[in-house]
Amino acid sequence: MAAERVLIPLSDTVTVRQTVGYAVQSCPGEAETLEFHLVVALPHDMEMPEGQSLTADAEKLLSKAESWVREDASAGSTTTTIDIETAVLGEDEYLFGPRDYARTFDSYAAKHDIDRLVLDPEYQPGTTAQMLQPLERELESVGLAYDEAPVERPARHERLVGDGTERFDKMFAMFWISYGFYLVLGDPTYWFDLVTGAAVAGIVTVSLAHVTFTFPLDRIGSPIRTLRFGLYVPYLLFEIVKANLAISLVILRPSMPIRPTMTRVNARVRSGLPLLALANSITLTPGTLTVRADDQRLIIHTLIPTAREDLFEGSLERAVRFVFHGRKGARIPTPEERGDTEIIGGDEL
Amino acid sequence: MIEQLRFWGIVVLLVFGLFFTFVSAVGVIRLPDIYARAHTASQTDTLGAGLALAAVALALGWDSMTIYAVLLLFFVFITNPTAAHAIARSAAESGIVPLTDETEVDVEPDPSTPDEGES
Repeated sequence: MAAERVLIPLSDTVTVRQTVGYAVQSCPGEAETLEFHLVVALPHDMEMPEGQSLTADAEKLLSKAESWVREDASAGSTTTTIDIETAVLGEDEYLFGPRDYARTFDSYAAKHDIDRLVLDPEYQPGTTAQMLQPLERELESVGLAYDEAPVERPARHERLVGDGTERFDKMFAMFWISYGFYLVLGDPTYWFDLVTGAAVAGIVTVSLAHVTFTFPLDRIGSPIRTLRFGLYVPYLLFEIVKANLAISLVILRPSMPIRPTMTRVNARVRSGLPLLALANSITLTPGTLTVRADDQRLIIHTLIPTAREDLFEGSLERAVRFVFHGRKGARIPTPEERGDTEIIGGDEL
Repeated sequence: MIEQLRFWGIVVLLVFGLFFTFVSAVGVIRLPDIYARAHTASQTDTLGAGLALAAVALALGWDSMTIYAVLLLFFVFITNPTAAHAIARSAAESGIVPLTDETEVDVEPDPSTPDEGES
């Protein structure tokens, strides 16, 4: 009984379809059973914000790939039995960099007695910094045999051009931000600081620009957003002072009239930076504390009723929407009117 | 005259900074559970440290050190909610049930807590 088992890590790339096709084709015809293990490795654990939508994406990709394998296998020989296993890896741990991926694949392969891995040449799991060693080298060092699928990459030159301006924008922004920061700390009129600052900013730009901006920058939008953020800061400071006074009064009063509640608020802001800004601002104002952020569902502990009312009125949410979407974006109904607020029991965490 | 104003400005800012830090310390002692205490711990960082650093900036005048004080405040404002959230989240993850006054609300409906949410 000769069984051939192949492990195929998948990610959402242009060549993933061809990789699956190659994996099916490349299997020797004499094997009686073919077992394809399709896996998606997730860089974050499930608890992260967006964790659930990422897992849903992974499962969609897996079911698509499964049908691809069936399609390709039925087109080829019919004598062999095809088994398909799918799995999502890395749900309960943090995968950071190629070494972790290689280790995860190796332990999966050892568990299922797999001896070959077919690698998509464009495989890009999550966010991987350029300076880390490529996955190929790490796979070699853990001793897992792999096979790179020969794929045709569509319209490579066009994508390079597209990437080029995007990359330039990121590097440009990163360079001036780091140079500016260096000069603020140093002396902008002293030539030595100007020269060393340029060198340091150059190094920072080359090594970190891709890590800092995970999204494409908008040449007009991003500076405007920065300016609007400048307007947001005094407003936030005002809110902080207000909330501080309210909480101080409550704490110093001998009866201490606190009413702690757990609330759930569905925020209407995009994931990533806007959600971070909102959750951080909520925590920064005393009286409200973000306990959990699960996608856009924020679980917030509130200490006094007025803080909770402020939260349900969503003034901070509107301010954050103003920063990222302009004045029009700020005109939305309050979370309370939308029915996005809920008081939950303490044990419902 | 200006010097005098500056001096008193520094004193007032420092006193208020100390006051909020003191309130926060009182809160940490008086409040009932870890979630409530995390609220008041963030007070020290926001207004306590904020006013103290403002006093520092005022004392130094237009100096490059003033910029450092403002930057310091900026980083405190970024790291403080992160730390508070980390504490609250780890408490939630280790299964600490927050004290809420749900039970009291059930007994006597309070006008200040309208039962919205689903509407």
